[in-house]
Amino acid sequence: MATELIPVSVLTGFLGSGKTTILCHMLRQPEFSRTAVVINEFGEVALDHELIETSEDNVIALTTGCLCCRVRVDLTQTLHDLLRRRDEGACTRFNRIVIETSGLADPAPILHALMTDTALATRLVLGNVVTTVDAVAGEVTLEREAISRKQVAVADRIVLSKLDLTSGIEASLRSRLTTLNPGAPTLRAVYGQIECDNLFGAALHDPKTVLEISSWLAEAPEHTPSDHDAEIKSFTIARVEPIQAVALTLFLEALAEHCGADLLRLKGIVNVAESPQQPAVIHGVQHVFHAPAWLGHWPSDDRTSRMVFISRRIRRQWVEVLLDAICAEVADVSAGNR
Amino acid sequence: MNCLSIGLVHELITQSLAAWHIDGVVELTNDRAILIGGKPEIRIEPAQARSMFRWTITVDGRTRHAISLLPVLRQVREVLDPGYQASRVRVAISPLVRS
Repeated sequence: MATELIPVSVLTGFLGSGKTTILCHMLRQPEFSRTAVVINEFGEVALDHELIETSEDNVIALTTGCLCCRVRVDLTQTLHDLLRRRDEGACTRFNRIVIETSGLADPAPILHALMTDTALATRLVLGNVVTTVDAVAGEVTLEREAISRKQVAVADRIVLSKLDLTSGIEASLRSRLTTLNPGAPTLRAVYGQIECDNLFGAALHDPKTVLEISSWLAEAPEHTPSDHDAEIKSFTIARVEPIQAVALTLFLEALAEHCGADLLRLKGIVNVAESPQQPAVIHGVQHVFHAPAWLGHWPSDDRTSRMVFISRRIRRQWVEVLLDAICAEVADVSAGNR
Repeated sequence: MNCLSIGLVHELITQSLAAWHIDGVVELTNDRAILIGGKPEIRIEPAQARSMFRWTITVDGRTRHAISLLPVLRQVREVLDPGYQASRVRVAISPLVRS
């Protein structure tokens, strides 16, 4: 019998950006009452979990250090323990997990751990990455703290918090967020309240969520980063002509091999020559990629392959010529040309 | 789909060096080879017609072969970028699609 996969969402954001407030609000919603929460704090004494008003047996605080540094040991073990307790009936039969990272955590290793643990993969599926940004202090934080820019860059959703403390969002902050991550919708939280379904309700990586895919593909114009964000930028490459499956595979291999940690996220919808009616959805974090998933149909009449890159120091020109060269070589081999 | 031209490979090597922050002059020679100047000098050219490989790479007189552009790039980078450690692609075990 197939086991229902439990979505795991990651809630991240810099110190004091309102993660716990939003988490508290979410847990008060009836539809989120069966949520297990893993909280990581960077410090000797955990406080955040004391602030969460929910069934205590579903909240676990990790205080051994920053989650991204000890992720393989602590996080995966914690998730295994949670699942064991659920199976034994020792805690509420939760139907989702939210991991709140420390404000200093790099989300990428956390996503790695979730994507590559063999045993967890049979039980869990990666959900949204939600990043909170303080509407008041966010711009200064983004300017000063590289990790905060990375937290924004990998997000599926960005939540602007503390809007009740400011009369409006500075255009420059919006611009900075769009530059770092044009594909992620920006949502607003007032007094920590937000429509939680928009945050954690849908599995972003579910290719059935066609509107979602359309969103992150449509929202990826070319951006010229400011000096401060020069190391992180996003761009989209598009190809009208279908791409052979083996060329796509080689392309992803080359990206993983040469870009490694600089490829923060890659999402794409690809017209694979061998499957023209059912596009492939690709998704990668650094050098870890999901096997392509196949949509039942194209989200629109547009059959163009589009790949959105959020990366650090990766040159668009190189990515473009790499794909062209690989496609041409595969076509040569297929045609029997030297 | 256009066939792979030596000009496109030249462009790929040129862009690759820039992407890897490696200095070097990349030339396209009259005999359809790509020459990366410097020490060591690297020459990339299509393999001979009957070879099972597609590319020949010569580094300081020592010849190596490659079956496609990916190992060409790997060999070039390994020669020019001593600190380079390739990240092998890993395919996530967790599914992309919720069942």
